[in-house]
Amino acid sequence: MGKVDVKEGILAKNQYYADQLRELFTKHSIFVANFVSSPGSGKTSLLEKILPILKDEYNILVIEGDLQTEHDAIRVRNTGVEAIQINTGGACHLEAKNILDLVQRYNLEKLDMIIIENVGNLVCPSSFDLGEDMKIVLISTTEGEDKPIKYPSMMRVSSAMVINKIDLLPYLNFNVDKCIDYAIGVNNKLEIFKLSCATGEGIEQFIVWLKNRIDAKKRC
Amino acid sequence: MHEASIAENILEIAIDTALKNGAKKIVSINLQIGKLSAIDNSALVTAFDVIKEGTIANEAVLNIENIPIIGKCNECGDESEYEELYFKCKRCGSFDMSLISGEELSIKDIEVE
Repeated sequence: MGKVDVKEGILAKNQYYADQLRELFTKHSIFVANFVSSPGSGKTSLLEKILPILKDEYNILVIEGDLQTEHDAIRVRNTGVEAIQINTGGACHLEAKNILDLVQRYNLEKLDMIIIENVGNLVCPSSFDLGEDMKIVLISTTEGEDKPIKYPSMMRVSSAMVINKIDLLPYLNFNVDKCIDYAIGVNNKLEIFKLSCATGEGIEQFIVWLKNRIDAKKRC
Repeated sequence: MHEASIAENILEIAIDTALKNGAKKIVSINLQIGKLSAIDNSALVTAFDVIKEGTIANEAVLNIENIPIIGKCNECGDESEYEELYFKCKRCGSFDMSLISGEELSIKDIEVE
């Protein structure tokens, strides 16, 4: 019989669900941020810092993705913000269908923001659109400064890069400028933030930026 | 290791396409995968070989065409191939670059009987 043209993206199905999500979020003017990083870069710690401040002005839902346990969801709930845990079992990333199944059962009317904390993995989550407004990638100073060029796909699909644990810089050989150069070399539109969840340095600037994004989405 | 989930998507699309075209068997699946899509060819083939068992694709071969990273400079217009996505124009050094290819993740066609 021979050849049959397909010319379809392999992830077309994920994209189909992601498009539905994006439409749903836009309809309800909800700003959605998808936090990605290696395990241990401080995604949950950063949420613990920003949520107590953001929750005074906004209604927020956090969706936590991990292979196992509710640990991160519990940490988020301790800040007074609602969190739902998705356990992927073995999967190394969240897919749009995971999020859609969840938000369809949820009252989105009251929400201003959804934060998705993806599974700790700097590779796979880059391929799966979750209908978010932006991906925010974290790198911590205890990792190598060359992470941005070792994992360029994630840098490319992210809108902001947060360098965390800057309080440890005096004890490490992490060259911040070099890390930023690498990141900009991969994606020159990246917004860069340097902060420490331990000391609180730089957190305020990050929150102000997030607030602007949430407010801009509300006006849409 | 998201190759397993990529393999599932490939199998589903290929079988759908084959059945729609009245085919009984899939002989091969021709993929275009960009260097930036973070897919390991051998992991993808291994995952595919496991899940294809018992389907009309159980003898299907995955042919992977790896697409290079091509960048175009928005300042000087130079278009070159890059080994990695650290995008500094090879000619003028500008970071203002557009990606021409390298992110592909698609099925071009399938061969059926």
